[in-house]
Amino acid sequence: MEGLADSRILIPARTKSRRTQAAIEQGIKAFFGGNALVAVIVLALITIFLFREGFGFFGQNLANLRLYRQAGLEYVDIIRATAAQHEALSRKLSEIRLRQVRVMEKRNAPLDEINAALASFDQFASAFSDTAENLHGLVSDLTEQASGLKERLFARAELLAQRSQLEQNGEHDAAAKIVLPEIDRKSAFDSLHQGAATFESVSAEMTAKLYNLLATAPPLPDPGGQKAFEQWKTQTREYLAGLPAASEKLRSWSPDTAIPWYRSISSFLFGREWVTASFWQDWYGIVPLLVGSVMVSLVALLIAVPLGVASAIYVSEVASRHEKRLIKPYIEFISAIPSVVLGFFGIAVVGQAVRAASQSSFFKWVSFFPISERLNIFTAGCLLALMAVPTIFTLAEDALRNVPRGFKEASYAMGANRLQTIARVIVPASLSGIVSAILLGLGRVIGETMVVLLCAGNRIAIPDFTQGLGTIFQPVHTMTGIIAQEMGEVVRGSTHYRALFMVGLVLFTITLGINYLAQKFVARFRMSIG
Amino acid sequence: MVTVLEMPEITSPITVNQPATAPIPEVERGIIEIESVDFAYGTNKVLHDISLNIPPRSVTAFIGPSGCGKTTLLRCLNRMNDLIDGAGITRGSIKIEGLDINAPHLDVVDLRRRVGMVFQKSNPFPKSIYDNVAYGLRIAGITKRTLIDEAVEKSLRSAALWDEVKDRLHVSGYGLSGGQQQRLCIARALAVEPEIVLMDEPCSALDPIATAKVEELIRQLKEQYTIVIVTHNMQQAGRCSDVTAFFYLGRLIEFDRTTKIFSNPAQRQTEEYITGRFG
Amino acid sequence: MTHPTHRTYQRSVERLVFWLFRLATYLVLAAATYIFLDIGIKGGRTVFTSTPPFINVPFLTEPPQTLYVFDFEGKKMTLGDREFRQWKTAHPGVEVEATSIAYSAGGIWPCIVGTALLVIGSMVLALGIGISSAIYLSEYSRNGPLIRLVRIAILNLAGVPSIVFGLFGFGLFVIFFGWNVSLIAGWFTLGLMVLPAIITASEESLRAVPQGLREGSLALGASKWQTIRKNVLPYALPGILTSSILGIARVAGETAPIMFTAAYAMKDEMPWQVAKFTDFFFQGVMALPYHIYVVSSKIPQNEYTERVQYGGAFVFLFLVMLIALTSIVLRERSRSRLSW
Repeated sequence: MEGLADSRILIPARTKSRRTQAAIEQGIKAFFGGNALVAVIVLALITIFLFREGFGFFGQNLANLRLYRQAGLEYVDIIRATAAQHEALSRKLSEIRLRQVRVMEKRNAPLDEINAALASFDQFASAFSDTAENLHGLVSDLTEQASGLKERLFARAELLAQRSQLEQNGEHDAAAKIVLPEIDRKSAFDSLHQGAATFESVSAEMTAKLYNLLATAPPLPDPGGQKAFEQWKTQTREYLAGLPAASEKLRSWSPDTAIPWYRSISSFLFGREWVTASFWQDWYGIVPLLVGSVMVSLVALLIAVPLGVASAIYVSEVASRHEKRLIKPYIEFISAIPSVVLGFFGIAVVGQAVRAASQSSFFKWVSFFPISERLNIFTAGCLLALMAVPTIFTLAEDALRNVPRGFKEASYAMGANRLQTIARVIVPASLSGIVSAILLGLGRVIGETMVVLLCAGNRIAIPDFTQGLGTIFQPVHTMTGIIAQEMGEVVRGSTHYRALFMVGLVLFTITLGINYLAQKFVARFRMSIG
Repeated sequence: MVTVLEMPEITSPITVNQPATAPIPEVERGIIEIESVDFAYGTNKVLHDISLNIPPRSVTAFIGPSGCGKTTLLRCLNRMNDLIDGAGITRGSIKIEGLDINAPHLDVVDLRRRVGMVFQKSNPFPKSIYDNVAYGLRIAGITKRTLIDEAVEKSLRSAALWDEVKDRLHVSGYGLSGGQQQRLCIARALAVEPEIVLMDEPCSALDPIATAKVEELIRQLKEQYTIVIVTHNMQQAGRCSDVTAFFYLGRLIEFDRTTKIFSNPAQRQTEEYITGRFG
Repeated sequence: MTHPTHRTYQRSVERLVFWLFRLATYLVLAAATYIFLDIGIKGGRTVFTSTPPFINVPFLTEPPQTLYVFDFEGKKMTLGDREFRQWKTAHPGVEVEATSIAYSAGGIWPCIVGTALLVIGSMVLALGIGISSAIYLSEYSRNGPLIRLVRIAILNLAGVPSIVFGLFGFGLFVIFFGWNVSLIAGWFTLGLMVLPAIITASEESLRAVPQGLREGSLALGASKWQTIRKNVLPYALPGILTSSILGIARVAGETAPIMFTAAYAMKDEMPWQVAKFTDFFFQGVMALPYHIYVVSSKIPQNEYTERVQYGGAFVFLFLVMLIALTSIVLRERSRSRLSW
């Protein structure tokens, strides 16, 4: 454009610094672009660090499982299982007795009379529990032996590791100084294996005693109780029939059977026990935590979905302008309540209230009331529902509001009333939006930590589903809760520490999956409304 | 050059009497030379082989039915289409004063300063009237208050807005009426002293009185500037342009003196469009 | 035509269903209101006093102390740690059986300070990165595989549970970088946690600025950056800041991410009592949410602990809700005022 000689002199041509200008612009762009990449980097780092810290878990856990077998703990646990079964049967007897007492109390029988009626039953019960005396003795003997061996094996492994560390550092002299204690595993196992013989004799003796006992079982006055008692008898017979299988298992057991590598993974993913810092054996099975998280989330969603969706429909389709202007910000306001405050409120108020309600005469007809634990799935679920409602409400309301006005008008024009329009036009049109809202609510609930940590009761066990609806009044522990509770106390690099990171990784994967599904539904919603 | 036009929508066969890009006799060399330009949004080609020379210090009108590509061509002239993902010239060249504006090393910022633009919807910045006009100058690095004051007054006078706003230079540009806002945008464009001013349907949102004022302004401005205006309004094109280009379906159908186009168009489509039979 | 009785039937069904919806909505509001009232009333007893200055200044300005409860000459005495020692020197030779309850005396001042420090640092970080990213995404980026990746990352990052952020911060900042439990580790953890929310909100505000302003500016010969700086950012900034305040509420309210990255249950020194300047960044702090967690889970629930439990919860809830309220009010106002 150099050709134009003219009077325009106000703005000089930008010749001098054209290149620097362009460079600056490029630099600024690159700076912003770099920042935008932070999100990708962080997501990658989260994945990397969860893996980095969690990855060693499987190796360590495998070693842990191998030690379990090599030291003979597994062997002892086979016998212990039979003892535990016996105890469970014993407990069932007391349950039957308790039910009897309740039935008789209802008939206003005096205590003496009750005790007299059940005297022969009590005798039977105590005779039953006595039959396992030798079994328990055997278990405690073997337990001592096995833990002693485990300790020695563990110490040896530590020294071995220390030595190889020194070798690696080139300090061969120091390495040579470390003396590995010789462990006579053979004799140790021989003495363990004697346990098998003892078990056989003990179980034979017990079987004989029990069959005698069963033959002389006293009748129970109440037919319902008698039925339960008969059931118990069958169970006992099954138990006795299972004993030879246990001794067979003991005989064929060998400390040198290899444990395949995948056992480490399957014992984490499908393990039903999470036991840590135990003197006997640590188990890192995620199932109880996963079930806890899922149960709590389900209860929360069961409460939050109807409330959230109903209030979204109400606000977007029914409420007056004034109500809308009040309700929408208020529900958004609720979403800002810090979770730890909700958790505290759960401990201080909700838990008490739930228990008090369960004790009230109004709910006397409910079979599983009164409840024993004030902090349980239900308490945590109620509070989490309050956290999920704003998420579900906001997103569902958005989806409902974005349904094109034309859909609505067409429906009204055909003479449909408001409810019909909502049920047949608006909700179906925004359904995938609402589903995505619910999914994001689920994501929020399952990842929530403080409320479940404070209010779910923190009992690491799979809830007893035989109780039906009563299951939701049992305490559980959750994935988020276990991380928060145990992370602060573990030794860095230990199996337990890595197990917690693995739990975090599972949690991360689950929420990513939920998020992915939610996005799918959002995309479908966008398409459905055009 | 185009000799056969493919326009399946029109049933009657079209005969082309003379090349569509016949040079206007008086103009030897245009200030803007567009040579066989193709333009596409992604895979969607919207301009086909456009060639025309725009004479300096005159008003050139682009007319044609909606979607014929006239705005796209206009936005090519100061490379505003750069802002649209995937859009670009696929063939041909555009030269302004002999310089290819799509050359890789061309400074697009400089180009835009020299080729100003007024948009269809008036878009004053949410600043005071004064700051609106001074914006381009400040951007260009001028800080001297007296220079800016002078330039603001000059531009507002040129845009015939000075008398209406001189007492409230420091109130928001949003407080002006639609016609005043559009003239403010014109003043803003003039302040950086461009050589060419592109106007994209500048009056489409204005009432007749405001339109008349803007048109009057356009006629005055051609003393100093080359003006290219896109318009839907035949009368407007007739009233204020010197040369007119008629586009249809992304092709240039006819380009000639406005008087010629409006009195004796060479192409039948042009005639049909101008007389309002389609479009 | 529909039969008239059928129509009245339909109408009453409609009314019933709408009442159910209304009930559900107000149930949610009532539940939240109950929480506010319960904590407000019981916490108010700790935080406010009936005599001037009407605010329990020691509670807000003192560090937490252990509470001692004991019987003396038939009277129930409840004394804080310091007072208890003074009392002991004043009563030499008196042996009392005192029950000690941790954290239950004194106030929550260090926790307030710690939370403020955590919030300020992490928000500076998140706003810096977040606004820059949003500018890139809304102003510079063209749709490509990399940008799609960035967007997917942001979307997914928003759904990652806060405890996972805590684990990540622990793994990266505390252990890998060796920052230990420190303010700076907390800043990064919290800052990265709110980043997706900030980016999304900022991008929305930037996109709300009409394209005409950008085109108008570019057509005047402004460069891209000039356009953004002078003609886009100033108009987007109020919106960005308003929605970022909600991010502040979230940062202040989170406990899980700071549990093992930044928070101490008890610390005697205030954050500024450090030997050298750099130590400031590498010290752990007490934080209100963590303090509430500690006092509600590690000490029993009884008449002596209620004061500090409810008091802390009240102050915390009040602060967070104040921030949230500010954001909501600002937004409602800007919604009615700013329409392009």
